Amino acid sequence: MASSGYNNLNAKLVLLGDMGAGKSSLVLRFVKGQFLEFQESTIGAAFFSQTVSVNNSTVKFEIWDTAGQERYHSLAPMYYRGAAAAIIVYDITSTDSFARAKKWVQELQKQGNPNMVMALAGNKADLEDRRKVTPEEARTYAEENGLFFMETSAKTAANVNDIFYEIAKKLPRAQPAQPPAGMVLVDRQAEGTRASSCCT
Amino acid sequence: MEDTASYPTIEPSNFDLIVVGTGLPESILAAAASAAGKSVLHIDSNPYYGSHFASLNLQEFTTFLQSQSQSPNNTPAEIQPDSSSEFETVPLATRPMYSSVEIISNSPEVLDNSRKFSLELVGPKVLFCADEMMNLIVKTDIHQYMGAFQSIDGSYVFDGSNGCLRNVPDSRSAIFKDKSLSLAEKNQLMRFFKLVQGHFQSDGGEESKRISEKDLESPFVEFLSQKIGLSEKLKSIILYAIAMADYDQENKEVCKVVLKTKEGIDRLILYHSSIGRFPDAPGAMIYPIYGQGVLLESFCRRAAVKGCTYVLRMPVVGLLVHKDDTSYKGVKLASGQELFGHQLILAPSFILSPGLAHSSPGMQGVKVKVTRGICITKNPLKPEVANCLVFYPPQSLCPDQLTSVRVLQLSSNVKSSPSGMFVIYLSAVCDDVLQGKKILNVAINTLFSHPASADNKDSLVDHQNENTEVKQKPTLLWCATYIQELTTDVSDGFNSTTMPDADVQYNNLLDATRKLFQEMYPGEEFFPQSVSPEEEAVDDGEPELESKSSETLESIDNGASGIEYTS
Repeated sequence: MASSGYNNLNAKLVLLGDMGAGKSSLVLRFVKGQFLEFQESTIGAAFFSQTVSVNNSTVKFEIWDTAGQERYHSLAPMYYRGAAAAIIVYDITSTDSFARAKKWVQELQKQGNPNMVMALAGNKADLEDRRKVTPEEARTYAEENGLFFMETSAKTAANVNDIFYEIAKKLPRAQPAQPPAGMVLVDRQAEGTRASSCCT
Repeated sequence: MEDTASYPTIEPSNFDLIVVGTGLPESILAAAASAAGKSVLHIDSNPYYGSHFASLNLQEFTTFLQSQSQSPNNTPAEIQPDSSSEFETVPLATRPMYSSVEIISNSPEVLDNSRKFSLELVGPKVLFCADEMMNLIVKTDIHQYMGAFQSIDGSYVFDGSNGCLRNVPDSRSAIFKDKSLSLAEKNQLMRFFKLVQGHFQSDGGEESKRISEKDLESPFVEFLSQKIGLSEKLKSIILYAIAMADYDQENKEVCKVVLKTKEGIDRLILYHSSIGRFPDAPGAMIYPIYGQGVLLESFCRRAAVKGCTYVLRMPVVGLLVHKDDTSYKGVKLASGQELFGHQLILAPSFILSPGLAHSSPGMQGVKVKVTRGICITKNPLKPEVANCLVFYPPQSLCPDQLTSVRVLQLSSNVKSSPSGMFVIYLSAVCDDVLQGKKILNVAINTLFSHPASADNKDSLVDHQNENTEVKQKPTLLWCATYIQELTTDVSDGFNSTTMPDADVQYNNLLDATRKLFQEMYPGEEFFPQSVSPEEEAVDDGEPELESKSSETLESIDNGASGIEYTS
């Protein structure tokens, strides 16, 4: 029932994976339905949100892209902190990127949030003729490490919505964790714009 | 996922700006230059962001503190001169920024939980809701990366006459509620706050409500006693707990910095506008959950989003100097790679190896130092108060206390410590190591009791100030004290950022950083209003702080899930 109070949740989702694996393309496809053949390295984009409906509830994903900080392995703790889900992306035409994906999984496991939902995305599935990583190999790895696996194509949109939808379904909701307390700055439109200079 | 011992090759090798060190000023500059369209490389030798401004776990903290307190390392003297190149390499060294490091550990429990601490070398530092840093956070939208804040719940001043902590009456409602103030004092304070507000609101307008220029230039302490007629007690509260003066303003001989009325009034206005800014923050100050390190990480992320290249774990061993005009043109990395930048910015701990400096190197610019301490306990300084500031005005601890000691207590609700523990930061300006250590030890002994085994350091306590409160003092579980250099105008011919200063806020640091940016890029705007179509819609309204629901302070201990439920 929609009234249970836990039916709408916000979840931080982080993207990880080798440069050029298609992290940003995947998000752009998911959030905007776009695909650019020559997507530039992640510049200017770092923050997206998109809502997914699952059964009778909604999940609002707050999606963090790496902004290129993964290139020399320089992501800040802030990036992983509080993430409810992660998509580790590799390129099915590159064994290197698959090997790097495994390292990102290790890195995530070190961050030590056992409840994190992790998805392994074999991207560029449209490039079948240049495939270097078999789905069997990736699936076996994913199963052994507690991830779920899908091959995706940001270009054809294959499995893109599905992978986010699947994550939304898997997010734990039976036992709501206490929300992190504190105050967040929120941008408000129109309503209640308060003069910042008021004295008490 | 380190590929051990192999440094990556950085591409490209030419940048508009190379920034070495990821402290807060460097991170702001990297973000500002990136926002201005410059190509920027930002590197740090450590595996974490922040340099001297980092939030570190206990183990990392002690390692960093000790590594930065050793005398200059002159390791890379091996650089081969390359006659074919038009550049020569000048070895770079680091100078010790901390001295007299002492660490006392009374409890294995603290060390066992090392990873649950988030400690910083810059403490005590807070954000005022209406200060320049907060304005920049809002303007650049980096609050969307920063996560949540907690409010500083109270502000107290130590009353040396009875050894008690009393409320700082920092707003009209606080004055009303304050039972320790007499009616006459309340009226005095009210009149004074009204006068300050009148001055502020008439800015550029009604002359009658403005404080005269002559008064604004006069010492604040004289203004408060002669023009306002405040009692000694109230004057002390205004001077040290609200205007946050460092030196004893009453004692001209030892007061190195006299606070002018103008500065004092500005700080009062900041205080007052901060209290009003975000309805959900009851006080003037807030603190980012997980510490100040989040702030610089957010600036770095902002820089990265604008195209800045980030490389951690990359030591810089030398600067590249053009053979003809001896200008600095780039850096040599530990990997041997040479990178070129039109501009260079280095963290303040870097110096040219002694003997090689073009200008006078070293610590000549240093005149003052900051004495700092971090203490860990299981009990708050005031019952039921999670996060608070405490001020010890000059002479309140002992007769030869020349400067104000400032204390910030943080509970586990800002994730600085494991549940049930508190982190307490102390700092004071001092002239020399001896004076700095003494004043800090007196403060620590006034605040805490040492575990059962008697400690010889107690001899430093001024016993006059000890009274019946003694029994309730929190027990000191762990403590680090050190003296930090405050570099000012040290120049080796390249741009250095500033060290963390002794203030509890970032205004001076931000001013210096903005100035450095403008010197490098005259005519460029320091963070033009962001118009990024990729980001979520940016509106021009003022963002608001919104409370996340939480029943108790302890309930937030498992924020790790990252899921936020709304109904």
